[in-house]
Amino acid sequence: MGAWLYAAFGTAFGWVLSRSGAADYDFVQGMFLFKNFQLYGIIGCAVAVTAPGLWWLKRHGRTASGAALVVKPKPRHPGNIVGGVLFGIGWSITGMCPGPILVNLGEGKLYALGALAGTLAGAALFGVLYERFPSWLRLPALKVGTGQR
Amino acid sequence: MLILHHLQPYHWAVAGVAIGAITLLLLWTTNQRLGISTGYENLCGLVVKAPYFRRSEIRGSNGWRLPFLGGLLLGGFLSAALSGGFAPFWDLGMFDRVFGWDPAGKLAWMFVGGLFIGFGTRMAGGCTSGHGIFGVSNLERASFESTLAFMAAGIVTSHLIYGFGGI
Repeated sequence: MGAWLYAAFGTAFGWVLSRSGAADYDFVQGMFLFKNFQLYGIIGCAVAVTAPGLWWLKRHGRTASGAALVVKPKPRHPGNIVGGVLFGIGWSITGMCPGPILVNLGEGKLYALGALAGTLAGAALFGVLYERFPSWLRLPALKVGTGQR
Repeated sequence: MLILHHLQPYHWAVAGVAIGAITLLLLWTTNQRLGISTGYENLCGLVVKAPYFRRSEIRGSNGWRLPFLGGLLLGGFLSAALSGGFAPFWDLGMFDRVFGWDPAGKLAWMFVGGLFIGFGTRMAGGCTSGHGIFGVSNLERASFESTLAFMAAGIVTSHLIYGFGGI
């Protein structure tokens, strides 16, 4: 049941990315080249809806089932900026951020296979090198778990 | 117009509200913070055995991140199938008009870009969804800094690729 719900959320998200231009090479370049407002409008509007909703949900403090709401902030370190710059370069080269890679593949855009392979290889390389990064990046200490939560 | 079947895209306000609504519903019903790029670590963790991929936050999240990623794929497929049919293609819009590369060249170009995406999002700890939408909405400093960094880098890179004169 849970897996189907997550798949449904992913499907709805993927549909919107597909039909809005967020998973479209020309719209992404239009954003970065200041030729098209569309994606700035989408991101801005998504934040304008999410920010007050999130504030209210956290104040309410409960999920739909009554469990305590958990929102864990992401750790802050110089890697946020260094990694962000690298990601921005990749987003511009491919015209895809991580969600649209899969959306484009689903739409049948065959070149997205190259982006998917590259992204997996890049993430794998990062994971293998994790313990060798310079200390000034101050990446979070590695905690290897059992898979049980 | 979209590259996909030359569709007219949704108005940005409609798409933005929909994305915000999905983000809030996901949190409210399942207690999960929206984020896509971490899911690529879950995929890596299925085959790569480095300690980084054995963290409990990865092994413990396969159950939601993997079906969510599968849904993104399905959403794209349904979008194509219900708007003129699913038929794989290589069209790449303005890239075709300016560079005109063949499929092998496009795959190589995309692979290189993908390396930056995979490595960069993992170092940054998030992407457009986890930092740009959720983190910024949650007023997290790490997310503001990362979002400014990837937007600025994208703007500079696209201008380097397509020229500052304007195409």
